[in-house]
Amino acid sequence: MRVLRQALLLLRSELRQELRDFELLLTASFFTVVLLAMFYLSFASLQSKAHLAAIPGLMWLTIAFVGVLTLTRVFDREREADTLRALLAAPVERLAIYFAKAAMTLAVLMLCCMVLVPGLWLMFPAGAAFAEQPLATALLALLGCGGYVAIGALFAAGLATGAGKNTLLFIILYPLTTPVLMYALVTTRALLDHHPDLPSYLGQMAALDLILVSIAALLFETVLVGSGARSTSPKGQVPRTLSREPSA
Amino acid sequence: MSDERSVVSLRAISQRFGRQPVLRRVDLELLAGTIVGLVGANGAGKTTLFSIVAGLLQPDGGARWLFGAAADEVDTATRARMAYVAHAPQLYGALSARENLQLHADLRRVCGLPTRAADEVLTELGLPREAFDRPMSAHSRGMAQRVALARALAARPELLVLDEPFTALDAGGREQLAQVLLGERARGAAVLLSSHDLDTLTQICDRVVLLERGELGRSVDHEGDRAVFRERAAALWTGRAASAGSGPAGALAPAAVLC
Amino acid sequence: MRKLLPDLCLVAAMPLLVYSVHRVFLETPNERQMGTAFKIFFFHVPMGWICMLMAVVCGIAAGVQLRRRSTMGAAVALAAAEMGFVTGLGVLLTGPIWGNATWGTPWTGDARQVTTALLWLVIVAYLLLRHYGPRSSDRLAAALAIFGAVNVPIIYYAVKLWKTMHPSTGVVASLPPEMWASFWPALSGLLLCCLGLFGLRIRQLVLAEELDVAWVQAQDRA
Repeated sequence: MRVLRQALLLLRSELRQELRDFELLLTASFFTVVLLAMFYLSFASLQSKAHLAAIPGLMWLTIAFVGVLTLTRVFDREREADTLRALLAAPVERLAIYFAKAAMTLAVLMLCCMVLVPGLWLMFPAGAAFAEQPLATALLALLGCGGYVAIGALFAAGLATGAGKNTLLFIILYPLTTPVLMYALVTTRALLDHHPDLPSYLGQMAALDLILVSIAALLFETVLVGSGARSTSPKGQVPRTLSREPSA
Repeated sequence: MSDERSVVSLRAISQRFGRQPVLRRVDLELLAGTIVGLVGANGAGKTTLFSIVAGLLQPDGGARWLFGAAADEVDTATRARMAYVAHAPQLYGALSARENLQLHADLRRVCGLPTRAADEVLTELGLPREAFDRPMSAHSRGMAQRVALARALAARPELLVLDEPFTALDAGGREQLAQVLLGERARGAAVLLSSHDLDTLTQICDRVVLLERGELGRSVDHEGDRAVFRERAAALWTGRAASAGSGPAGALAPAAVLC
Repeated sequence: MRKLLPDLCLVAAMPLLVYSVHRVFLETPNERQMGTAFKIFFFHVPMGWICMLMAVVCGIAAGVQLRRRSTMGAAVALAAAEMGFVTGLGVLLTGPIWGNATWGTPWTGDARQVTTALLWLVIVAYLLLRHYGPRSSDRLAAALAIFGAVNVPIIYYAVKLWKTMHPSTGVVASLPPEMWASFWPALSGLLLCCLGLFGLRIRQLVLAEELDVAWVQAQDRA
């Protein structure tokens, strides 16, 4: 419960900062629109059948690119002011930091999906299935982005605390998240095809997300701070030999 | 004196980054109600040592006790009893001073930990009222430093770890902070701080210790006369052996420091 | 005796590899449908298994490294990643050769091919992070290895989850006895060779770390 409450407080702070200048929301949304425009220019002249095959890839490629941008920006704020270390030194559950960052990134990505999915539908008529199955589409977006964010938040935080280069995030994130995105891709295709196994695919995505979040949550504190060293001296009270009266 | 007063106890703490040793078998003990100042050149290992005390870094070797108990990992309950102010203010630029403090106060409240009112502690550190609601990005470095210190003091910690707290403070600010730290000591808190400002250090510290190339070297104690303490601390810094060092130090193990 | 284990593995691997090459190319009949190209199977599949084994070993060692801050764990993880890189490269090179001969195209984009390639990319990312990452990147790389190991069962079940042109997991089980007799020496030879190199690399990494520690201690005494 403490983890959840602290995570909500941190998320509220993130949202408050974001709503002061909207920098992240505007840049992420604009980047989504730019990608949509580029995809339209590249693929509009193809036949409708080709659109059907391309839409899942376009959707999740966009999420992959916007996701890295979002994670970079969310943690740049922490890196620039070194505020993440202040949170790590404070009586804040480390897991709360992870959940807050992941939730913030997920919120931004979901907002981008609100631009992306209607955009794909408008530009490529084969995307009509998105409008016909809005709940399934929303769940698909949530689960796909959720799995991506589960992994991304861990590694972006690790690079932010270790003075790591942002370019390393690209190297790490794309190979690691591709299985999740591929699951999302297959599920998107099933949605567009009105495949009867769609609920099963969504269920599998939910299970995969749960596994990824669990692993990331377990690793978060150890990755950022390290685990306790094996003690080289007996546990218990402070050794008496080191204690003495303070000088006057 | 019993160990119950021990707030920080480090034994043979070592830290190495590849082939670069940063800390070499550091022994340090800090008792409640004392202020210890750490001096050292840039790159001596002060920040690394403070990170280890604050639980932000696990040492490669040695053992750490905090508040009388072994601390292989510094858990939330232990972190609740200490406050760490790093060299950088570590404040959110888009939030105001009050909001930055309120965030940490709210986070502490979830753990059932009391916190002093933000306005009260900001005023104590000399921040003008009209600046409370200004975003931190609009503040000077000195003002930001005051807010960072206010955030630490609001928690009423038993241990204060301050990395160069006097940086960017004007003369008035340094004097104000010095008085605040003396007040914390009177309250029973332990303070471990680093600074290049020997004048202010010798004004408030009970002991000044030299950290040189990762090793804790000689130290000088305040033995009643602040002027003599200042002179001996200066000699410690410039390495003049004739007038530096406290009497019993030679009898101790090379890197041991007693407070 | 334990110190000689990697060397013994390499010594044992040499005649086995020679024998397996002899057996596969000179004594094993061609597969009815795939012809001579099927002989790649005897090296491709063992390399694939070793790659996955190394990915799992890397993930487990990374977990030990993270939990116990173990130098040995870090060394085992890095050595396993390097061996996984080499064997993975072998799989990705031999697979398309076999595929081109069998299906007329080197890359079908099927689930197992793609996820094996992704696992290899994760291993490459791990090696890049270990070499170019910042100070604390060993812990980050360990987390990457753990996630990479999670990909291994995804690869295994990919055949069942998606439509695939890849031979099903039942190929090995459906081999006729004379082909089994060729498969085991190839698998044993490659496995012993990889384990020998793996052991030598671990020894080298642990020695390098001990040298660093000794160097620092010597500096302290000086």
